[in-house]
Amino acid sequence: MTAHTLSSTAERSYWLGRYLERAETSARLVSVHANLLIDLPRRMPLGWRPLVAITGSAELYDSLFDDTSERNVCRFLINDVRNSGSLINSLSWARENARTLRGIIPRPAFEFVNEAYLFAREKLAEPLSRTRRVSGLTTITEFVQQVDGYMSANMLHDAHWNFLRIGQFIERADMTTRLIDVGTGTFWASAVELEPFADIQWRSVLRSLYALQSYNTSVAEPISQGPVIEFLMKDARLPRSLAYGLNSVRNNLRSLPRNDKPLAVVNRIRREVAHSNVRQMNGETLSAYLDQCQVRLNQLHDQIRRTYFDFRPRRRPVRKTRRTG
Amino acid sequence: MSIDWSDYRTEGFWDELITPKGRARTGAGNLCRVLGALSDEEIADRKTAAELAIRAMGITFTVYTGEGSGSIDREWPFDIIPRLIMKREWDAVTAGLKQRVDALNRFIDDVYHDARILEDGVVPAEYIEKSREFRRECVGIDPPHGVWAHVCGTDLVRDADGKIYVLEDNLRVPSGVSYMLENREVMKRVFPELFEEYVIYPVDDYPDQLARCLRSLTDRKSPQIAVLTPGIYNSAYFEHAYLANAMSAQLVQGSDLVVGRDDRVYMRTIEGLIPVDVVYRRIDDLFIDPEVFSADSLLGVPGLMRAWRAGNVALANAPGCGVADDKVIYTYVPDIIRYYLNEEPLLPNVPSYRCVDKAQRDYVLDNLDKLVVKPANESGGYGMLIGPKSTRQERDKFARQILANPRNYMAQPMLLLSTAPTLVDSHAEPRHLDLRPFILSGRGTYVTTGGLTRVALRKGSTVVNSSQGGGSKDTWVVDLE
Repeated sequence: MTAHTLSSTAERSYWLGRYLERAETSARLVSVHANLLIDLPRRMPLGWRPLVAITGSAELYDSLFDDTSERNVCRFLINDVRNSGSLINSLSWARENARTLRGIIPRPAFEFVNEAYLFAREKLAEPLSRTRRVSGLTTITEFVQQVDGYMSANMLHDAHWNFLRIGQFIERADMTTRLIDVGTGTFWASAVELEPFADIQWRSVLRSLYALQSYNTSVAEPISQGPVIEFLMKDARLPRSLAYGLNSVRNNLRSLPRNDKPLAVVNRIRREVAHSNVRQMNGETLSAYLDQCQVRLNQLHDQIRRTYFDFRPRRRPVRKTRRTG
Repeated sequence: MSIDWSDYRTEGFWDELITPKGRARTGAGNLCRVLGALSDEEIADRKTAAELAIRAMGITFTVYTGEGSGSIDREWPFDIIPRLIMKREWDAVTAGLKQRVDALNRFIDDVYHDARILEDGVVPAEYIEKSREFRRECVGIDPPHGVWAHVCGTDLVRDADGKIYVLEDNLRVPSGVSYMLENREVMKRVFPELFEEYVIYPVDDYPDQLARCLRSLTDRKSPQIAVLTPGIYNSAYFEHAYLANAMSAQLVQGSDLVVGRDDRVYMRTIEGLIPVDVVYRRIDDLFIDPEVFSADSLLGVPGLMRAWRAGNVALANAPGCGVADDKVIYTYVPDIIRYYLNEEPLLPNVPSYRCVDKAQRDYVLDNLDKLVVKPANESGGYGMLIGPKSTRQERDKFARQILANPRNYMAQPMLLLSTAPTLVDSHAEPRHLDLRPFILSGRGTYVTTGGLTRVALRKGSTVVNSSQGGGSKDTWVVDLE
């Protein structure tokens, strides 16, 4: 009987995809960054500031905290409910969306989202030793992977699934461009002057995207800015690359009705990415280009929202024939 | 051995499992034996297993914590000792419930048409005119099969004499059925071996029966059914989602629906607008259509009443059916049954006093410390005076309220609600309970096997509402034959 997909549940699927992805990435980011700091010599004052920058919440952060100590930044990113992008909020929103999608997503998937949220609320509350934090964050990423696996393997690959994936991949594409942006940032200036630590930030970026191993086995060049950015933007084999994300969005859009406008937007971005010469870019041009990517991703989000979620009812409703199969 | 039945005291109440002499009632022997053989550790394990299942299944209800602080989700409080009802007794209750709901539906239909029952003086007309639940907008409307209350949750209690009484009829948006269904799932996970000891009637056909009932309200083939919920912060949202899912219906909020110029209801989908044929609304009727009722309602759908009046959509329960869900009208239900069906009621009402009648009101005012006083239109146990547990000030306040508005009050003797063994730490103690079966009316009538047993978890308390410290038990209708 439910051959139809409500605009509202489509929207919630989309946001479930986004929040799950955001939760996983933020958990991963904190772990990887902590790891990176261990590798750096003491005199390099990198600190925790880059993480605040990645999440685009520097202004809020500065209004809440006086310093960027490990403790404050971790609190801000992990369990501070005042930060809309914190891990706990991402999981809470994922759970609320999943809750309203019971019956659309498989029951175990909801149970894992629920467990992930409860785990974060109880086990990632302060104060937290570094070891407990790392193992707790790993548990979160594992929960999210399980949710992903359950949904991928067990839920009907219908329109809700398409929206879930579209949300997931837009979020992922957005996060990948942010990571690259921060990788090129000035925080690293003091680090890269020291020979053994040159390009250490790119190693860290790759690791955050689970892409270090893939890079080593598929790119025949040492790790440095040009090839890493090219790999992360353009390699369609890498699940967390921009190209892969955009391809996935396109593929999922193809299964949806009334998809001409959103498809046009995503195809335009795909062309732009394919034709860009990221290796030649640096400094300001690169930064401007990454900004433009984010603007484009926002446009894609907007087009999807207008087409499927927030459309105005037509003046004369038409009786649609039921989709079969 | 930690549940020692010889220590169990029924204390003058009717206990559902144990006789006053401490013996298991007919049918309860196997259950008591299995429970009595469990060690402390085993009991703790089962209890933990139930809690884990409830947590993992995400069975929650929402508690309002007051303004500003919003609401929180609590896990559903559940007692692992089931309540047993013999099939033979249940069959008699079922017949009584069908009779009662049939009569109530005829009553509502009459009230919104010729009002014969008022003309004949069986129910005073002024009660209807002054009823907060009477909806003038519904006069003259003909819902399919003449049925208005499609889903009814009737609260039953057993008094010390062992007899089952109807405490109240919930005809507006009764909830709890999903907990009845989930309780059974939890029990299967926690006590699989007990299911081998008994022939326990299944409850899980309820969603199919509900879907069948709703489908019978329209002539369209493969109709589109929508469950209309106020949204995720409603205390029964879990149930709305659960039922929509189990019926393969669309769970919608007001903002998902739109009424076209053709007076048809449509839902907003990714394909565009799709017609809806039946709306199972879980929103109070004052909120369903801002064009007609509360203009500031954000929960409803502008034009829904228009579409209903035009016969383009079926609404379950029909707006206005709350006119029979009124604590004062309740006192007339036995007469209502006799009037429409020409039959004696099979299930008794709790004896009740109407404050609008001078003699009865005087009795109530003289005996406030012994009676339970209920306002006509509250639910969830709110706004009641429980005489024996009240203070002098509370009684004085109620006396003033009754005198000011006698139509709005009725009173009943304090019932000695039956008890059932309930786990407290690792032993069993009696706790008071009631039972809410659900009755579906469409082309035919269906009664759940058993229902939702609600139990007051606090010692001595008779307040079973989940919003006020109540829990629940699985309810087994068992056949020994």
